[in-house]
Amino acid sequence: MSINSIAIYSDEDVNSLHVKFADECYHIGPASPTESYLNIDRIIETAKKQGADAIHPGYGFLSENEGFVERCEKENIIFIGPKSKAMELTGDKMKCKVLMKKAKVPTVPGSDGTLEDVQKALDIAAEAGYPVLLKSAFGGGGRGIRMASNEGQLKEEFEMVSAESKAAFGKSALFVEKNLENIRHIEFQLLLDSHGNGRHLFERECSIQRRHQKLIEISPSPVVDAKTREEVGEIALRAAQAVDYLNAGTAEFLRDQDGKFYFIEINSRLQVEHPVTELVTGLDLVKLQIQIAQGEEIDFRQEDLKMHGSAIECRINAEDPFLEFAPSVGFVPNCNLPYGPGIRVDSYLYPGCTVSGYYDSLIAKLISWGKDFEEARIRERVALNEFRVEGVNTTIPLYKTILNEQNFIEGRLSTDYLERFGLIKKMNEDAEIEARRHADAAIAAFLLHSVFVQNTNPMDVSRRSSRQLSGWTGLRSERNRRM
Amino acid sequence: MEIRIGGVKELQNADVVQTAGRDIIVKIDGNSHHVTLLKITGNEIEFILDSKYHRAIIQSGTHETKLLIDDHPITLKSHPNLQEILKRSLSTEERGEGGDKDIKSQIPGRVVNIMVEPGSPVKKGDPIIVLESMKMQVAVKSHRDGNVKQIKVNKGATVARYDIVAILD
Repeated sequence: MSINSIAIYSDEDVNSLHVKFADECYHIGPASPTESYLNIDRIIETAKKQGADAIHPGYGFLSENEGFVERCEKENIIFIGPKSKAMELTGDKMKCKVLMKKAKVPTVPGSDGTLEDVQKALDIAAEAGYPVLLKSAFGGGGRGIRMASNEGQLKEEFEMVSAESKAAFGKSALFVEKNLENIRHIEFQLLLDSHGNGRHLFERECSIQRRHQKLIEISPSPVVDAKTREEVGEIALRAAQAVDYLNAGTAEFLRDQDGKFYFIEINSRLQVEHPVTELVTGLDLVKLQIQIAQGEEIDFRQEDLKMHGSAIECRINAEDPFLEFAPSVGFVPNCNLPYGPGIRVDSYLYPGCTVSGYYDSLIAKLISWGKDFEEARIRERVALNEFRVEGVNTTIPLYKTILNEQNFIEGRLSTDYLERFGLIKKMNEDAEIEARRHADAAIAAFLLHSVFVQNTNPMDVSRRSSRQLSGWTGLRSERNRRM
Repeated sequence: MEIRIGGVKELQNADVVQTAGRDIIVKIDGNSHHVTLLKITGNEIEFILDSKYHRAIIQSGTHETKLLIDDHPITLKSHPNLQEILKRSLSTEERGEGGDKDIKSQIPGRVVNIMVEPGSPVKKGDPIIVLESMKMQVAVKSHRDGNVKQIKVNKGATVARYDIVAILD
């Protein structure tokens, strides 16, 4: 598009990949997000000083902050996304719900106001019946949503979600909804330009989640046929038009066992899982975002779009799936990103990079495309085997288990898929099988190491020379320094 | 030598029975295997076990060795009397001695909240402190009932994995 890109970075990101690839890069502050990536004044100042015409907010940080959008509008910088008014409406789930009811968009049955104190939450939960979902009105992307099965848990979670919401968004307003069971999360990618055109780019099914964080996203959904796609796609567009939405966004729905769709929210940004849609539509969403932000008209009709093949995305998180998904941070001495027909990896990883504890645990997205779901699945599965990250634990072992699991293969998905089909237990069993398979070689390597490295005389020339040849010893000392 | 591979329940017996230049014979659980060393560079080893090529990266720690075998991560513990050691540490745990008083963090992070005061009673599973890492708030919970004797960290402090954050009496 011949547009110069400017990257901003914090102290923590000095060595990050986006800094190396940008045409220009500027430092904006310390590691802590509040002092850098959430520092509106500093970002605007940098943008103006360097003559930036537009800001792409990515996902996370300020991407859904209407204050930031407003500021861009005031400073005459194009914000690549919706207007601040629409952002404010989509960001407040309660206000949004009221508007959707008016626009005849079906919403989840439940609470209709935010709760200031825990007592109110307890009253509503008692009425609705446990389990309930506790949500932050300002949350998004799964942050600030917790399930509570009883009073004690609700009290505890209320504190936690309040704190998380305040830490992430500077404010907290919570509401309670009854937790529906055996539901699917299905969302529609939307695109609206400033000429009144709106298109839906089909659905993504994101039912495989853990604690309301999406793990795997696929398109098409196994339960959405052409007719449903058209019907719900229409409703999704109506939802976006109800808040006067502009540019790329996503309408999220829950689908119950009877095939009914309930609107839950509009995500007013490009989403993590957007590559899935790119692969099945052949469109470049970021390019379209920029064109729409420049005032251009969408140059294709709804009927021009065809669902082509099938795509699967796994979010590779730096979390230890064998230790309750505890965050895993640190130096990555080496990594291998898979490639091949139908394989795409979006990632900041490179050999020698560092996974920081200051930012999100998402370190890579592995996306596969195939002519049908089965081909995409096999490609994803093979690529997971080739995906290697040293130094930090990742969620890859869980995805290997899921991709081979019969219910996943047959499309029996729900938001409680992991618990319903005992996937964590299956992952542990798979890990044991793998460990047994490699046990003899591991023992042989260990014995070789003790014979040829540890037991040799320190004055032995052969040992010294092998040390000198090694790139690994250098990496090891680097790692110790960082730790 | 007794060896335990992480994730595998039973212990394995393994020893080097013969070395001749680059070739060694090892015995694993009574079965003999022929191992030919191809290359050692620092902690990277390439070898042929029986007739199959393998590449290993080894990081020796004080308690365990971490290996990448053909890109697959494996942890390994070894000791001439590993069974004895494991039994002893297990019974120490059962008797509630030693490290049982320490509440340790399983993750690195920043302390964003301290949930209890010194002297207060806690039940197993009660959150002691809340850490933030990678935008997640994770509670460090008590592993047993007891009274909190001391909180070892302050709000805003950074803790490493396995750091002691509080002590029970």
